[in-house]
Amino acid sequence: MDAYVITNIEWIEEISMSEGMVISEERRTEENVVCKTGIDELDVQLEGGIPVGNTVLMVGSSGSGKTTLCMQFLANGARQGERGVFFTITEPLFKLTKNMQGFDFYDKKLIESGMINLIDLRIISERLGLDTEKYTVEDASALLEVLKDIADELNVKRLVIDSITALCYRLQTREMIRDFIFKLGSSLAAMNCTTFLTSEVPPNEVKYSQYDIEEFIADGIILLGDIDRSGDLIRTLQLIKMRGTTHSRIKSAMSISSKNGIELTPLLKSRA
Amino acid sequence: MTKTLIDGLKERVSNAITINQSVGVILPSNNYSDLIQALFEHVQSRPEDEWAYVTITRPYESIVKQFGDLCSGGNIKFIDCISRAAGLSKINPNCVFIESPAHLEKIIMEIMNVFKNVGDNVQKYLIIDSLSSLLIYNDAQIVTEFFTHLTNRTRLSDIHSASIAIEEEMNGNINKIIYLRSDKIIKLRESFI
Repeated sequence: MDAYVITNIEWIEEISMSEGMVISEERRTEENVVCKTGIDELDVQLEGGIPVGNTVLMVGSSGSGKTTLCMQFLANGARQGERGVFFTITEPLFKLTKNMQGFDFYDKKLIESGMINLIDLRIISERLGLDTEKYTVEDASALLEVLKDIADELNVKRLVIDSITALCYRLQTREMIRDFIFKLGSSLAAMNCTTFLTSEVPPNEVKYSQYDIEEFIADGIILLGDIDRSGDLIRTLQLIKMRGTTHSRIKSAMSISSKNGIELTPLLKSRA
Repeated sequence: MTKTLIDGLKERVSNAITINQSVGVILPSNNYSDLIQALFEHVQSRPEDEWAYVTITRPYESIVKQFGDLCSGGNIKFIDCISRAAGLSKINPNCVFIESPAHLEKIIMEIMNVFKNVGDNVQKYLIIDSLSSLLIYNDAQIVTEFFTHLTNRTRLSDIHSASIAIEEEMNGNINKIIYLRSDKIIKLRESFI
């Protein structure tokens, strides 16, 4: 298990002999268990990692690096012995694996050994006999049960749904979306599973989700974006929210390379 | 004459960069090749040290053509900031090609990557060639911020740096950047020997 455990048990015992009085105070035992993303600079910004069991919204427009970051999160976890599962609803599995093959962090053996499981949600929906384009309340419940069962059966500690936007599109009402994400997050947290939900937003819009609900249910928000510098697009990453941490809120420049995957460094503030 | 000049340059620059954390080197353009040759000779004479060479002035391929295979010693890595922007880059294990000289954060990341796995007992050196070329692609304010950020990072990581500026390209902005952030300034003249 890759969980990084910080245990802080502190007893303060103060003895005042003159007053013949003993004051003992037991400070609350705190246990903060975090899930390291394995991306060093991001873990530093998170003060160690994401609190285990958190549901994190990974927000960004097309091409911002959401899927790559999620896959690197799973691969880093798998290397530390944490099993992960990636549910895709936007991209066929063969395309997903093909796109990941160029990265050094990607290792086919992690998939063959079952440390990373790639599952196409559309295929699951078909097998459940659901309308793949539109879910009823019952369909959503059935799908939720399947997701929970898979996570439970595989004993996964890291889970990704790519994308929650595409899933919400099929859920039809805001109530169904809220109910689905809330129940999913609660169930996975109970299993000590940390979850990334990718959220697709239009470029250059200050918006964390398509349906304006997802961010309120999520424990954390990581915003991926771009800035234009002399006509070149620089990728950026910013932690907006992460319950259970006093995280950084600086905007970082983000690089994606085949050798190092995702890397971060503080974004220069001056305008070009 | 040239040999004496290069030896003189080698001694002056290598002494300065070894002693000081951050050195600014201002030189006339007609001495540019001599300085680069002197630096490379110094790099090859110190195989136990680790070097990163950031080029914004000449493409990596062009440097190799003129000065030969500089990477045989395995102690220098190049970061080429201009070839890809010009559509010229090839894949090379000794050189990282940055997409654009305007992507200053990526330059910092790649510099730090060169030294990431280098042991604490190894001397680490960085050459920026050149600050004046960086100002062709970026405005002065962001280059100042970049250079400040970079020198802070290199100081924290015990990396010694030498930043080159071409005298003919010097203006108030480069003066401000190089004079304020360098521990020592070397102004080279052919007549100094």
